[in-house]
Amino acid sequence: MFLTRSEYDRGVNTFSPEGRLFQVEYAIEAIKLGSTTIGVRTSEGVILGVEQRIQSPLLESSSIEKIMEIDAHLGCAMSGLTADARTMIDHARVTSQNHAFVYDERIKVESVTQAVCDLALRFGESVHDEEAMMSRPFGVALLIAGHDELGPQLYHTDPSGTSVKYEAKAIGSGSEAAQAELQDKWHSQITLEEAQKLTLRVLKQVMEEKLDHHNVQLAQVTPAGGFKILNETELKAAIESV
Amino acid sequence: MASSVHLPTGFDFSNEIRNNFLLDKGVKLPKATSTGTTIVGCLFKDGIVLGADTRATEGPIVADKNCEKIHYISDNIRCCGAGTAADTEFTTALISSNMELHALHTGRKPRVVTAMTMLKQMLYRYQGQIGAALVLGGVDASGPNLFTVAPHGSTDKLPYVTMGSGSLAAMAVFETGWKAGLSREEALQLVKDAISAGIFNDLGSGSNVDACIITANGTEMLRNVEMPNERVQKERRYGFRRGTTAIKSETIRSLIVNEEIILPTTEAMDTS
Amino acid sequence: MSDTVTLAGPQQRQFNPYSDNGGTILAVAGANFSVIAGDTRQSEGYNIQTRYAPKVFRLTDKAVLAVNGFAADGNMFVKKVKQRLEWYRHAHSKDMPLRSIARLIQSMLYGRRFFPYYVYNILGGIEEDGSGAVYSFDPVGSYERETCRAAGAAQSLVQPFLDNQIYFKNQVAAPGTSHPSHLPLSDVLALVIDSFTSATERHIEVGDGLEIFIVLARGAPIHGLEAIQGIQEMTSNAEGERVFIVRRVLKYD
Repeated sequence: MFLTRSEYDRGVNTFSPEGRLFQVEYAIEAIKLGSTTIGVRTSEGVILGVEQRIQSPLLESSSIEKIMEIDAHLGCAMSGLTADARTMIDHARVTSQNHAFVYDERIKVESVTQAVCDLALRFGESVHDEEAMMSRPFGVALLIAGHDELGPQLYHTDPSGTSVKYEAKAIGSGSEAAQAELQDKWHSQITLEEAQKLTLRVLKQVMEEKLDHHNVQLAQVTPAGGFKILNETELKAAIESV
Repeated sequence: MASSVHLPTGFDFSNEIRNNFLLDKGVKLPKATSTGTTIVGCLFKDGIVLGADTRATEGPIVADKNCEKIHYISDNIRCCGAGTAADTEFTTALISSNMELHALHTGRKPRVVTAMTMLKQMLYRYQGQIGAALVLGGVDASGPNLFTVAPHGSTDKLPYVTMGSGSLAAMAVFETGWKAGLSREEALQLVKDAISAGIFNDLGSGSNVDACIITANGTEMLRNVEMPNERVQKERRYGFRRGTTAIKSETIRSLIVNEEIILPTTEAMDTS
Repeated sequence: MSDTVTLAGPQQRQFNPYSDNGGTILAVAGANFSVIAGDTRQSEGYNIQTRYAPKVFRLTDKAVLAVNGFAADGNMFVKKVKQRLEWYRHAHSKDMPLRSIARLIQSMLYGRRFFPYYVYNILGGIEEDGSGAVYSFDPVGSYERETCRAAGAAQSLVQPFLDNQIYFKNQVAAPGTSHPSHLPLSDVLALVIDSFTSATERHIEVGDGLEIFIVLARGAPIHGLEAIQGIQEMTSNAEGERVFIVRRVLKYD
């Protein structure tokens, strides 16, 4: 550990003299330990893909949940400390339902992303307060995919509470190689089917194990069908087509 | 003792107990037409000017846009009425009749105080249950006289008076403009202004101005002397095409009665 | 010296925070427009508090809200709705759609279920699909989309007239024809003006002034509208829906 850091890397509310918040930076580091997660936007919808690491042959792969539904028109894939994502997705679900209840319309992808980012920043609130609910930043990054009046969209959020809109984005351990590949292969005319293949191909490249329907999960958000996680047969078919 | 077969005179209270019973059961009593009203009267050099608006209301609804609130008592006496329309109409008509009888009986021209006394004695007897608030004015042997009679029977004798829901608006005009020895024209204008103040500032009053000028030389009734609230032309005409109303069923009944008269076959009288 | 204690029986005191300030509002939806109107008299009992108190408010270029009942609650309610619309604009970077405003108003009214805003709301404007719409509310938030609605003091006078002239209730169409589902703007404006001049004739709380808001759908023709004397445009964004206001005098008695 660097000496300069040791004095400023404890409190989440203290900047270092260089203007850095180490705890937040460490949290972002934690994501790089997570499994690779990919999101690709097309004009027909958004594809989400994740690698599921099977550490043991005794592990039931279907119990690993790395893609979750926020609302009928919103999905979310994660990488990092996935337990933290539950809190964030819970918040996103409540925000989305509340919006539908109060305004009789589907919440925009940008708005739900902003709500999640607002929550991500709460780690700084009232540390001396007994009621404070967060002691540290979230150690997870999300890819939020959705569809609204502005069309299919993909957003990335990280523990600093920053959200950025992407055409295609990779997070997690293999993200560097994956992002480079996405940048190379993504084009504005890409179809949903091509995006699905691209996602699988990129995952295949960065995964250590051989890609099959047990160690990968795919989901899509389309204007017509909304959010959907591909079932086993659909996933198998997708893998075979690559 | 045998009960009287004659109808008793005066008010009939025989439904009082039944109506109170219904009221307790929650049955709503019918609403009486009330004259929300601005009525005024003022003295001038040669006599009295009375004034009234012409709106009659049932709650917030305008029941009559041009009713008459200046009632005839005698040739030289008029009475403006505010309050329950039926009470003001009936009471003034009753007193008018009694004044006529009184004049016949005494052989004199009736006095305003006489009408005032009859009114207050009647209203006091009914303890305010007769909702009539009146402005009584006229010219008699003693000169011009102007009174107000409140529903409970109390009276005032003043040079200028107002009554009804618009009384404050009208009185504001009188307090500003009235002085002793006004001319006929000045007094009429002041009354018109006072009634107009009620018409425009009191929701219970509206439509037109009626006025009445009483002097020793006679009485001049100025019906609708001002009409500042004529209805504007409607944007559309609301005629209905013949056949607009649906006919659900139709039966035609003949009013011509066909009768067959069968004459009895008469037999000759038995004379055997 | 009073050293005696008066032992009175149980007493009850009450404060009534509400009052009724009269007036009437109405709204009519056309195929691609909406008309929302209200008189401007504000009264209490037999007194006129003011001859000009607006009851109809432009919320956005596509939504106009008419509020009738207790004026203090009405003004506060409109203020809070406008505040919520601005917050929404900042949070979601767009104007709130009409149906969302309708739902928001329900939420705000029902939020005061046990100390209600003593107001009847009518919301008029243009939906996202470009159709004219009218939403009416009760004081605790029950709402419904309709073609026309009158509320307030003269509701019982105006609504039957509207039912007959707009919904053609109790009118049989001429043989081989049918009644239109939406009337043209000129007909609606004439009916609205006649509704108010007639209500003024027979209801003491209606009068003084009339404000008529007209909301036109994006790209709807404005045929004849510019010819109306005294018409003013209140549109804020040139390429969206357009809002106009027409003012008329009513009788003062």
